[in-house]
Amino acid sequence: MFPYILKRVLYFIPTFIVISLITFLLSQMAPGDPVELKLKGGMQSANQQASDKLSGEKAYLELSEKYGRNLPAFYFSITSGAEPDTLYKITRKADRESLARLINMYGNWPLISAYYYSVQNLELAVLSMPDDQASFEARKTIRDNCNILYINYDDNEIENILKQTQALVDLSVTDSQQVVHKPLASISGTFGNVKNSYEKVKAEKRPSANLLPAFHWYGTGNQYHRWMFGDVPWFGPNTDITKHSKGFFRFDFGTSYVDDREVSSIIKDSLRWTLLLSFIIVLLEYLISIPSGVILAIRSNTLFDKVYTVFLFICYSLPVVWIGTLLITFLTSDYYGDKFNLFPPYGLGKVGDEFGFWEKVTDRSYHFVLPVFTITLGSFAYMSRQMRGSMLSVIRQDYIRTAFAKGLSPGKVYWKHAFRNSLLPIITIFSSLLPAMISGAVIIEYMFNIPGMGRVSYDAQVQRDYPVLFTILLFSAILTMLGNLLADILYVMVDPRISFNKKM
Amino acid sequence: MFGKKKQVSTGQNLGVSYWDIVKRQFGKNRVAVWSLYFFYFLVIVALSADFVANEKPYYCQYKGVTYFPLFRGLAVDMGLAKWQPEFAQADWVNMEYDKAVFAPITYSPTTIDIVNSPFKGPFSEQEIKPGRRKHLIGTDQIGRDVCAGMIHGTRIALMVGVLSMSISSLIGIFLGALSGYYGDERLQVSRGRLILNVLFLFFAWFYAFQVRAYAMTDALADGFVPYLIQWLISLFLFLVVMAIPNLLSVVFKRIPYLGYKVAVPVDIIIMRAIEVINSIPILLLILSLVAVLKKPSITWVMVIIGLTGWTGIAKYVRAELLRVRSLEYIEAAQSLGYSEWRIIFRHALPNSLTPVLITIAFGIASAILVESSLSFLGIGVQAELQTWGKLLSEAREDVSAWWLAVFPGLAIFVTVTIFNLIGEGLTDALDPRLKQ
Repeated sequence: MFPYILKRVLYFIPTFIVISLITFLLSQMAPGDPVELKLKGGMQSANQQASDKLSGEKAYLELSEKYGRNLPAFYFSITSGAEPDTLYKITRKADRESLARLINMYGNWPLISAYYYSVQNLELAVLSMPDDQASFEARKTIRDNCNILYINYDDNEIENILKQTQALVDLSVTDSQQVVHKPLASISGTFGNVKNSYEKVKAEKRPSANLLPAFHWYGTGNQYHRWMFGDVPWFGPNTDITKHSKGFFRFDFGTSYVDDREVSSIIKDSLRWTLLLSFIIVLLEYLISIPSGVILAIRSNTLFDKVYTVFLFICYSLPVVWIGTLLITFLTSDYYGDKFNLFPPYGLGKVGDEFGFWEKVTDRSYHFVLPVFTITLGSFAYMSRQMRGSMLSVIRQDYIRTAFAKGLSPGKVYWKHAFRNSLLPIITIFSSLLPAMISGAVIIEYMFNIPGMGRVSYDAQVQRDYPVLFTILLFSAILTMLGNLLADILYVMVDPRISFNKKM
Repeated sequence: MFGKKKQVSTGQNLGVSYWDIVKRQFGKNRVAVWSLYFFYFLVIVALSADFVANEKPYYCQYKGVTYFPLFRGLAVDMGLAKWQPEFAQADWVNMEYDKAVFAPITYSPTTIDIVNSPFKGPFSEQEIKPGRRKHLIGTDQIGRDVCAGMIHGTRIALMVGVLSMSISSLIGIFLGALSGYYGDERLQVSRGRLILNVLFLFFAWFYAFQVRAYAMTDALADGFVPYLIQWLISLFLFLVVMAIPNLLSVVFKRIPYLGYKVAVPVDIIIMRAIEVINSIPILLLILSLVAVLKKPSITWVMVIIGLTGWTGIAKYVRAELLRVRSLEYIEAAQSLGYSEWRIIFRHALPNSLTPVLITIAFGIASAILVESSLSFLGIGVQAELQTWGKLLSEAREDVSAWWLAVFPGLAIFVTVTIFNLIGEGLTDALDPRLKQ
């Protein structure tokens, strides 16, 4: 048995790696730039100075470092040959994406990067010009245009913007002394740079460079590695203040994008409700469905069996969402008569230290009646049907007939000889029960407003709070795998005939 | 078990095919047969939803001119016609017709009947315009007709079931067949071919998906169908590139070291993939997938349910093929020198497909359940669509709206039940113990 368990545990590792990779891939595909969202506002003040721009960049960089977004995504990358391996160093996601587009179109990175920096120079030049009433509007428009240029790759639009900017740079103002002067003449050189470099990008394009693949190796300083293992040293004090993450294996799951809370503390708070609910539900399911399945099998083909089987079938097909909604609608308010106002519609009831332990327990169980009933109904029916089926197939076997023939009492035959063997399928169900439970928790906790993992993952989905969502995804996958492992081990323990030491 | 077209050769059953036996067995199960009839009924409702519940009249006279707005509306939706200028922004409910013939339910699912909002029940007072009918099962918070919503929701429910299960079946049957037929030993490939294939996998991925990444992202922004087209082009490119190593390997096979045959553990690879998918709670996986979509829609939900729901079918097909592959007629086919693909898809697979019907029937039920749960949670469904799950969730706004709690849920329940019953009926019909 031990080698088998060891083998199962070893199987655990590749499965976990693949699941973590899937989760990571999803988090990379997630749209939007969390850093940008977090910093929104404050960035675009009308009268911006060069120092503001620089401090904004610094804030962006710091937050990227906190989220680990300044690192390359993975240990390696396969890109087109035209793309440099240092593109990830452009920290702004929108800029990076538009540069990648430009590379895809023109394929000559040195010229594209020269163009990008020339736009940056232009913005800085405009920002560091003396504040002057006459050119205020023009300077603001040029700055906005720069921001558009960063994130644009469409040739027509860029040309348009450049033309518009050219007009602004050449703007001549006649002041009160009838002297015509050009307030923005000082940046015409910088702007000329932008124009020339863009022309050069277009003139010397080599899109064919994109057709060759290139392989870049980044080592362990990447986002995936940081997410899993962290960048803080495992032993000894952390000396580098730019390193924050302890990594998944040290229970540091990052911080929420929404309220900056530690994801680990969010999960810790929510997990206990889900575990408590699941524990009650599993206990009830096994307590009801095993005996009822056995009794049904013993009395098979009686009227009782037929009626009860139909009842189980109906329960099994009942959608959880419907039962929950019906119960909330009819049993939680005075609207359909005082008699039907039986249960609280949602929530946990009394939370806090001012209530005594038993007071909390009774109130909590009162609140849990409806959710537990709702979710138990369907799976209890399913398990009873399975139990009935497996007990039936055992009862029909020869050794049961032999047991009867040698004069054992029915109770002894059924409960001692048949029961143990009929338990096997029920154990396999246990492994599929866990993922179903977590999926069910999403609906139940949403409906009854219980702050468990399901509710939290729903909220995270709606608010696009990816660290929370993906951590729960990975976490629940691990729980499920542990459940599978447990089921397999139980399987061996219940049935000594099964030996996994042979090839599976 | 017998072949699909193979005749059972026992004397009294001469001329009776396996399918006939299955059909007869299924016909004996009266509940299952009625479920099948009810399924046909649902299909008819889904197909005719636009004609049964529509705010536009079949026929009307407006300012002395005759129009057929319902039919024209359908043509406009399909892009075949344009609205007459006077109807371009028509308010169909409040318009004064000279004469009009309406559909049985005189509301579209999106019609907002502001007078009868919020939450007018089937038995409460409703203010109905002349020519229009009562809201049979009430209205929701903003005055949309629940009955119309449910009729149009039938279409979505069935589409979810059928489309997602088609995707699941395609993937599940293909992978299950490979895994069951080849197992871990049977796929013998020369070392050269294996190395070349792995190497070219990287190139194929690069040219098919990396180089075309932007074409695909742009198509994604346009909608699902353009994306699908781009994706298929990429798939084609992928296959073209992958053809190269397989042609090259004909030459490389001559080199002794590279010609050495090794076994590819197909079964282990596919079973691990199934374990990975089964380890992730399905609803959470779908939640996460929908979260990374820029524009989630019901089509995407169907595709995602389909892409995640194939594991059960694959396991079933695998088990069947494990059994079938050791049968004599497969050995006969092998000794005749048929290609492996021909044996799998022409000979082995057709004999294993009938039991898969059971899984598909139950799969449709669970796909409908998953979709209704998702739209109950308000995830992945566009605002202008009415689905059963969404209608049910509106009952949460007000406890007095019992009709919203009862009827849409009943529709989900009945649909799920009939698919489960059909599944049960198939299980009984295909059970070898019951067969004479």
